[in-house]
Amino acid sequence: MKILVAMSGGVDSSVVAGLLKSQGHEVIGVTMKLWEGENGEMPETGCCTASDSEDARKVAAKLDIPYYVMDYTESFSEDVVDNFVGMYAKGLTPNPCVECNRSVKFDHFLTQAKKLKCEKVATGHYAKIINNKNIYELHKADYLEKDQSYVLHMLTSEKLEYIDFPLGTISKPEVRQIASELGLKTAFKKDSQDICFVGKKDYRNFVNTRIDISSSGEIVDKNGNKMGDHKGVHEFTVGQRKGLPGGQGEAKYVTKIDVSSKRVHIGEKKDLLTTNFLLEDISFVNKIETTNLTIQTRYNSEDLPCSVRTVRDGELEINLHEPTFGVAPGQFGVIYQGTKVIGGGRISSKVLEKTE
Amino acid sequence: MKKSEYLYLDHAATTPMREIAIKAFIDAEHEGFANSSGSHNLSRKAKNILEESRETIAGIFGVAPNEIIFTSGGTEADNWSIKTLFNKNTHLDSNLVTTNIEHEAVLASAQWIKDNEYDVVFAKCLINGELDKNSFLNAVNKNTLIASAMWANNETGIIQPIKEISNEVKKINSKTLFHSDVVQAVVSDRIDFHKEGIQSAAISAHKIGGPKGIGAMFLSSEFKLPSMLHGGKQELERRAGTVNVAGAASFASALQEQQNNFDDEILIMTKEKKEFEQIVKDNFKVKIIGEDENRLPHISNIQFEKVNSEILMVDLDLNGLGVSRGSACASGAQKPSHVLEAMGINKEYINNHLRFSFGWSTSLGDGKKAAKILLNSLRKIS
Repeated sequence: MKILVAMSGGVDSSVVAGLLKSQGHEVIGVTMKLWEGENGEMPETGCCTASDSEDARKVAAKLDIPYYVMDYTESFSEDVVDNFVGMYAKGLTPNPCVECNRSVKFDHFLTQAKKLKCEKVATGHYAKIINNKNIYELHKADYLEKDQSYVLHMLTSEKLEYIDFPLGTISKPEVRQIASELGLKTAFKKDSQDICFVGKKDYRNFVNTRIDISSSGEIVDKNGNKMGDHKGVHEFTVGQRKGLPGGQGEAKYVTKIDVSSKRVHIGEKKDLLTTNFLLEDISFVNKIETTNLTIQTRYNSEDLPCSVRTVRDGELEINLHEPTFGVAPGQFGVIYQGTKVIGGGRISSKVLEKTE
Repeated sequence: MKKSEYLYLDHAATTPMREIAIKAFIDAEHEGFANSSGSHNLSRKAKNILEESRETIAGIFGVAPNEIIFTSGGTEADNWSIKTLFNKNTHLDSNLVTTNIEHEAVLASAQWIKDNEYDVVFAKCLINGELDKNSFLNAVNKNTLIASAMWANNETGIIQPIKEISNEVKKINSKTLFHSDVVQAVVSDRIDFHKEGIQSAAISAHKIGGPKGIGAMFLSSEFKLPSMLHGGKQELERRAGTVNVAGAASFASALQEQQNNFDDEILIMTKEKKEFEQIVKDNFKVKIIGEDENRLPHISNIQFEKVNSEILMVDLDLNGLGVSRGSACASGAQKPSHVLEAMGINKEYINNHLRFSFGWSTSLGDGKKAAKILLNSLRKIS
């Protein structure tokens, strides 16, 4: 089978290319150039660095597979980075990896693979695709510690048919073992944890240079008493504890961000408890299910038992069986039935206001 | 895909070495491995090979042997000419005039001068791909240390009006050093530096079937440049570093072989390019850049309607045809070409270009073969 492999230069995608090649597939490696400096140079930190694509190129040369760097900077900048900045400006907590998977990796990249007459695309994501009588299901990876099904929840059965996640049944230590056996120099490369286009720097500085609205305003407690000033709503996310005024007494957390009044509300941990919230912009891998459901409200967070109810087209109400902390508007809620991903959507700020 | 089945049309990037040049390299390493600056018997052998190579190259370009200095390649020669006259003794009003369609070696060197706060003018280019003579000459004045324009563009093959501007530059300021990057031009054109008013030129061996890592700087005996590499007193104290004798021998041998076969090689390149362009034009909506201009016979830059050339290039490679989108880039991803931008090519089409470049190893039938692969891919991609 002719397979286009997205190679980041990391150990996971290197092993994917190696495994598929050893299984006899015709493998073509591509590094998606997603982000660049002002003069078109590769960034020095984060991912997409010149040294990452160099690593991918070395792996491809070692495996003797065709390899290309392809430019996705325009799409990434519009669909992922602008969205990331815009979400903070709206007082929301974005998840750029979901946006990137949705609009870059499993949209443009998939389209290009089809143009090149590749039968599938493969990535180094930890998730499993199960073909159940030509209905394609998305499941958690066997190696739960690295499971990435959360950031892939928007993939539909029609798309999954063209996708391969060879690491779904392998553990990270096994991946490193395989890399080492294949003689790949990425075998012991550190995993990157940063937001790829921000790198090790504070995301606030990144956002600061990209928005021109000054959204400075007041920090207030739950009774509306002013507790201090802030330099912009984008510097806060719901559930944040750092950088808040307070002093003695119980720790304070951001409980709500009101963009229209530029007010950041703070309260105690119990004020963050949420039971009901709304998902918008929802999608399902196949069809909606209603029994034995759990939800993750952040990447790789705890599975919380829940019930769902369709409010209107594109919106879903989630009722948790037990209240939980840290439901941040802008993040995604991903619904599972056991290991199977049912679907998900973006956590809306609307319901949180209602449940106050 | 076996190497022999692969059709290589990226000669403007580099070429395979000529057999005779490989042999010359090996022979020189056997007989002249010693340091050509040494004073013993074996060094003299090396020195002799080196000087004979220099004479061969100088003879072909019609210049004096001491006007040829061996460098690591074209980039070093460009850097040397552009940068070294600007130093702490340079008058602050001094300026540099070049064009916005130069090879990166010149562009980036000029930018470095500009970053050091000297006046640098990047003359504009006309929509036909020729540098704008007025824009260039208007920038030359009594403070101009260097005027630099390439003989022919490496992305489009369009030949530049060098003689016209070099003469005019002299009239404005007789002290200005006129530099020309002739790396690409040497592949398929003959240049008489003195007659054309060129005082320094960058030449590279690997574009004409010689080895990589060696090139030459032509520097007219009327001019002196400060050294760029400091160290030993090699190359008449002008360029430090043990001289690459085998590289020089191989370079000379490749250049001699090219001269011996010049007319035949040009005939094949011209014929194959013409046939290739004709078939492509007849079967797909394309624009051939500089089609009616004076172009080098080996370069064809084609704009495809509504086809992004990034994926087209990938598909061509997967189907056995190696081409490029302009000049190669370290990271692999290629930016829109600054040359096409300078020509005012619409943003909408700027990513729709590929450069097909023929060379000494091109055989009869390659044009037709390439057109067939290209049309197949175009049908698939578009």
